[in-house]
Parts: sequence; structure tokens; C-alpha cells
Amino acid sequence: MHRVLSDKKAIFLLIAPGLFLFAFMICIPIFMSAYYGSTDWGGIGKYNFIGFDNYREILFHDKVFWTSLGNALLLTAATVFLQHPFAILIGIFLTNSGKYEKIFRTIFFIPAVISVVVTAKLWSGIFHPNYGLLNKLLSGVGLDSLTHDWLGDPKTAIWCIIIVVMWQGFGYALLLYYSGLQGIPSDLSEAAKIDGANNYTLYTRIIIPLLSPMMRVAIIIAVTTCLKQMETVFLMTNGGPANSTQFLGNYLYKTAFSSSLYGYGNAISILFIVFCLVLTVILNKVLKKDIGEF
Amino acid sequence: MNNSLAPAASPLNLKLHKQKRSKPTTGKILMMVFLCLIALIQLFPLIWLIDYSLLKSGDFFGSSFLKWPSPPQWENYRNAFTYGRVPRYFANSLIITVITVALSALVSLMMGYAFTRMKWKLSGIVLSLIMMGMIIPIHATLLPNFILFNKLGMLNNMYTLILPYSAIVIPMSVLIMTGFLETIPRAIEESAVIDGCGIYGVIFRIIFPITKPALATICVLNFISTWNEFIMANTFLTSEDLKTIPFSIMKFAGEYSSNYGAQFAVMTIIAIPTILIYLLFTEQMTKGITAGAVKG
Repeated sequence: MHRVLSDKKAIFLLIAPGLFLFAFMICIPIFMSAYYGSTDWGGIGKYNFIGFDNYREILFHDKVFWTSLGNALLLTAATVFLQHPFAILIGIFLTNSGKYEKIFRTIFFIPAVISVVVTAKLWSGIFHPNYGLLNKLLSGVGLDSLTHDWLGDPKTAIWCIIIVVMWQGFGYALLLYYSGLQGIPSDLSEAAKIDGANNYTLYTRIIIPLLSPMMRVAIIIAVTTCLKQMETVFLMTNGGPANSTQFLGNYLYKTAFSSSLYGYGNAISILFIVFCLVLTVILNKVLKKDIGEF
Repeated sequence: MNNSLAPAASPLNLKLHKQKRSKPTTGKILMMVFLCLIALIQLFPLIWLIDYSLLKSGDFFGSSFLKWPSPPQWENYRNAFTYGRVPRYFANSLIITVITVALSALVSLMMGYAFTRMKWKLSGIVLSLIMMGMIIPIHATLLPNFILFNKLGMLNNMYTLILPYSAIVIPMSVLIMTGFLETIPRAIEESAVIDGCGIYGVIFRIIFPITKPALATICVLNFISTWNEFIMANTFLTSEDLKTIPFSIMKFAGEYSSNYGAQFAVMTIIAIPTILIYLLFTEQMTKGITAGAVKG
């Protein structure tokens, strides 16, 4: 058995196709980005090496870069503090909803499987100043004064994006918390009930603290997906108006393909990757400690 | 759904006999109403989508949210097919998605086996390298990949999408596969080897049938993400003949932009395959997402 399992040729043949694919499509491009990120390449023709100038420019002078990060942070905060508590609540409801549980669970996840192209278009329709549902709804209940060009106003546009992303991602968050709730042994809640705990204390004192490992997972996933947010923004506002809804992915895309600043765009790519890696590592460390207390 | 607490005459009812059922309390009714409300919010845009895909374009500016389509404007779908080039793009998407799904399933089976069973020094390092792919934002590879494909003269090919699509789903697929393989006892493989079965025989004749549930999960997840992918297709393809289904909707940006009915029809056509796949394989998907999250 051992001889068969340490057959070098077989190992190579099994690993190589996937590894090469991964290396060519993900690792090599990152190295290329690092290379072009230190140039002033404009897409065509010759270019010069300018060292870390791009990075210095981005980190110290580029307001849009920091707006993009700030938006990602805002989206993360909204996800963790609004969407997640809601997902936990619904998850608790679901575990108590008897035979309809599966139907609800299925419905709640449907937005997550629909193409962003469709949902972005749909929600653009909802926020549309002329035929949009939201304005129709507001006029319908007599609040004409509140009707608005929701995506055209820098103040409201970012919240529209946040609502759409939270709506579409709700199924994922719910699924995670729901499966976390399923993993809590039922004798715990039975024991608590025998000891005289009512539903409220049962959930706040026993069930929700026991969910914390799942919270850690869900928060890490939320942070990375919020940081990576691009498609919804790209299709709904393309970062506008006036970069108020800009996110890193969309910003680097715009810099490279609309402004032809390929060197600068690649430098943003590299910083983007570094931020994602560093944040994930930090979160893993910080949140792990938190859970150690239980 | 109003009578959600009344026993319905359905086979589902059989399950209820096992549960202790207390009388519905006010709290329980409120909870159900609340759940129905959320379900409505999650479903409403979809209902709106299908409803408007059957209305005349002129109806869009009316004051009502939903309108019973009478008669339903099937013409919108006909227009969608012609103006949005739906048949062509649908076929492109299907080819690209099916190849990507098959390729990534095969790769994840092979790699999963090598990572969990085979003995080699670099196993741990290579696995963590692959798992880093879950953290790296794929959007950061858009630009260098564009430059790479451009240099190699590979833009505007189907494999320009198939290759990166397959690569980005590898980490998640391998994660699900290794997780599943670890739960499978090795005794069967051992006896197969004693009976003279080679390593490839073990993988493709013994492991492959056993891992079918995991492979199903991987295929469903990858189908949905590949079918819905837009940004890479938008970057790497310019040829009209190769575009994928999300681009049908972009066809309505210019001259047909006021044909709302057909636009909604196109969006319905884009959304339906993934919803169907999801409804057919709900359990596999649910398992895959939670398993991936807990280990990741």
C-alpha cells in the first residue's frame, strides 16, 4: 500500500494539471502585476521602471483608493452589524418553524444564485427615478417629497449598493448561522428549559454564545467578500457618482481600462491582494483568541 | 401561506406525527408572518421580473407595481431571442460552463486524492498555496491576465474563459473534496491494492463512485458561479460571436433600450437555469457551502 501511495510519477500526474492551471491563471498574473506595478506603463509602447512611486502615490495621495477602502469597510460594518444579527434571528425562527423550514430556507437563498447582472439591473430598476418601484411606492403612500434619484445622488448611492449586496448575500449568512444552530445539541436547550430558562434567556445565554465559532467564520467570509465587492458596483453605478461608490476591484479596472494607467492599475492590484491577505490573517488571529474564552 | 399552522392534507403531514405539536401560540403566528414577509422581500424582485417580462413596454410607467399580464406578451421573449442573440449566447455559456465544471471536477478529484492519501513531502505546502487562492481577490488577476492573454494572442477564445474559470474554482473544489475524502475509510482501497489494482484504478474505479456526492456538490456550485460570471467575460472577450449569456442584456443598451419587456424577458432567461439547478440540488449546495465555510 505504501509503495503505491508514494509513487512519485502518479503524484506528479495527479497534482500537475490542477497546479499548473492554478499557477498560470493566478500565481503568474500576480507576479506580472508586481512587475508592471513598478512601471509607468500606459498600455502600449515603452515604459520606465519607477520603483515604488506608484505605491507611494496610491497610499499617500490617492483619495479614491482610500474612499474605496472606506466603502468596503462601511459595507463590512453593515453586513456584520445589520445582516448578521438578522440572519441569526431568522435562523432561530427557521429552526422553530417545523415543516415549512425547508421551503423558507430554499426561498431565502434564491437571490444568491441569480446572476449579478440580473439583480443589478433589477435593483437599478427599483431605484430608477422615473419608473422605479421605490419612487412609485413613496408616491403611493403620499411621500412624494422623498422621491429621489437614488443612484444619482452620492449620499444615497452607496446605501443602495449596500442594500443590494446585503439582500443578495443574506442567503449565505443565513445558511451559515442556520447550520451553526443545527450543530448545537438539542439536549442543551432541553436541560436549560428544565432548569427554568425561558426562550429569551435560552437564546441569549446559551444558544448565541455557542454560535460564536460560526460567527467567526461568517465574519471572516463577510470581510473578504465585502473587500472583493465589484460586480454589483460595476453594473449599478460603475463607482459613481463622483467615485462615491467606488470599490477597489472596480477602481483598478477603471484605472487600467478607462484611463489606460496599466502600471498604476497593477500597483492597485498588488495592494488589493496584500490587504486581503493581511486582513484575513489578522482576523483569524484576533477572533480565534476571542473564542478561546468559552 | 396564511394557514401555515393548520394541518395540510399533504404527505409532509406524516412527519408531523413524530413531533410533539403544541397549539399555535401568538408568538408562533407572529414568527410565521415575519418569515413570510422576509420570503416576500427575497422573492419580490423575481416576481417583478417575471411579471414585467410578460407586460407591454408601455405598462412600465404605470402607477401599479404588479399588473396581471392579460394577455401575456410572449412576444417579449421572441424579441429577446432576436435582439439579444439569446440562442447564440446561451449556447456559448453552456459550452463554457459544462467544460469548466467537468474539468474542475476531474482536477479536484485527482488533487483531493493526492492531498489526502498519497505520501509526498510538499503536500502541505502545495495545499496551503492552493487554499490561499480563496483569499486572493480574483479581480486583481483581471489586469495581468488580460496583458498575458493579449501577449499570447489568446484573447477572444473560449478557452480564454475556461482556463481562468477552472482555476478560480480549484481552491473551493479541492477543499470540499479533501474534506469528503477524509471521512472515507481506507480499507476498501487497501483491499483493492492487495487484489492488484493500480493507483489509477483505485482512483477512477473505486474512489470516483464513492465521491459522487462531493462531486455533485462541486459541480453544482461551480455551475452556478461560472454561469453567472460576468467581469472576466467582459474583459477577455470582444468578439460578438463568443459572448456569454449575461451579455444579452447589454445588447439592449443602445437602440433597443426602450424595449423594457424584452429586457425583462432576457433577464428571466438568464436567471432561470441557475434557479432550476439550485432547486434540483438544494441539499448538495447547502452542504457544500457550509462544509467549505467551516473548514476554510
